[in-house]
Amino acid sequence: MIAALALVAGIVLGLVFRPTVPNGLEPYLPIAVVAALDAVFGGVRARLDGIFDSKVFVVSFVSNVVVAALVVFLGDKLGVGGQLSTAVVVVLGIRIFGNAAAIRRHVFHA
Amino acid sequence: MTGTDTTRGEVGADPTSPSSVALLVDLVTNTLDPGYAAASERKRAAAPAGRFSGHTDRLAVAIGCLLIGFVLVVGYVHEHRSAPAAAKVDTALIGRVRVAESAGASLADSVQQLSNKIDNLRAQSIGGSGPLNQDIQRDELLAGNTAVQGPGVEVQLADPAAPTPTQANARAGTTPIGAVQVLTDRDVSSVVNQLWADGAEAISVNGVRLTPTSAIRFAGEAVLVDFEPITSPYLIRAIGNADQLDTGFAASEVASRYQTLAAADGITFRFDEQKLLRLPASAPFTPLYARVPTATTTAGVAGTTAGPSPATSVPASVPAPEPTQSSASPTPDTGGTR
Repeated sequence: MIAALALVAGIVLGLVFRPTVPNGLEPYLPIAVVAALDAVFGGVRARLDGIFDSKVFVVSFVSNVVVAALVVFLGDKLGVGGQLSTAVVVVLGIRIFGNAAAIRRHVFHA
Repeated sequence: MTGTDTTRGEVGADPTSPSSVALLVDLVTNTLDPGYAAASERKRAAAPAGRFSGHTDRLAVAIGCLLIGFVLVVGYVHEHRSAPAAAKVDTALIGRVRVAESAGASLADSVQQLSNKIDNLRAQSIGGSGPLNQDIQRDELLAGNTAVQGPGVEVQLADPAAPTPTQANARAGTTPIGAVQVLTDRDVSSVVNQLWADGAEAISVNGVRLTPTSAIRFAGEAVLVDFEPITSPYLIRAIGNADQLDTGFAASEVASRYQTLAAADGITFRFDEQKLLRLPASAPFTPLYARVPTATTTAGVAGTTAGPSPATSVPASVPAPEPTQSSASPTPDTGGTR
């Protein structure tokens, strides 16, 4: 409940302030978005599995964003930024799909 | 990573050894962050002691969800802001073009009004029905300086309809020009030339009256007629002996070429006789360098194959004491068509 409220509050904040993303941070935006989606699906699945932990939820989200951004930043410096950001998106995408499947099994028992 | 792994597998160990695929299997099967499992293990081991209090718990979740919602919205806003910005610039540019066009049109209107006034004043001063005024009127008509009406033919040329852009290349300007813009200035001018050759006395292209000094050319993606950009469909109206124009044009190479093109490329091409066409006047043209020669023996040379009808300048019709501007421009001799 509080999670849903906070999510809505975050959305409203973003819509109200409409922050401009600095040019330097632009390449990391898609990674942050995918990491956020991954955190949401992971959290829901953990809740359904009965092993949800708030600390893990927050820390995993923040650290995923930071690590993914670092990896891509390093890749940018070494000339493989595009490929590495693809790799990050693929890995997190697979996790999102796996978690979505687990949530489906929990909800529909199918 | 896969490249080195597979080669190593083929050379050394069993290619299906768990170590080479373990990573991928782990990636696909253990989709949940391992932190959750570890945390629940810890909780089970040291039951009440390791737990956050309820408040911290909720606060952490709230902060996390707030961050997530914020990031998602920032991503959404960022993605959708750039497209409207481009569209905004587009509409701003289009608006400026429209304003400039209407300003040009109103200026042309006022030029037309002023020149009508001049005509009236001149007619008053030299006598409305005198031979001088008739000469001037005829010259102006041939020079395209007065609006005219009469029977003739109407030719329509249009580019094929633009294919609807697919979602993949939906951004403006990604449809290849070659696929849509088949017709160029050459097509317009070849039709115009054919109509002159068939005996047209006055021609307009998309409402722009052609004069002896008109040019039809291509700039970027637009056809310019007397520096006025026009776009497809091109509507070419020619006044003359309608039957003669129609049959002459129908039998011409130009017509058969565009009939072929219409079948092959999907352009629109049709022409038909009209009982009454009204062509606008062109803005009066003031020659800056051309002068009526003082010696009366000069005969204009005008050979044309496809341009405006043979122009034999008629020195006799030039009134010596009053060199009007229109008499300086060549007067097309429309001989047989009258």
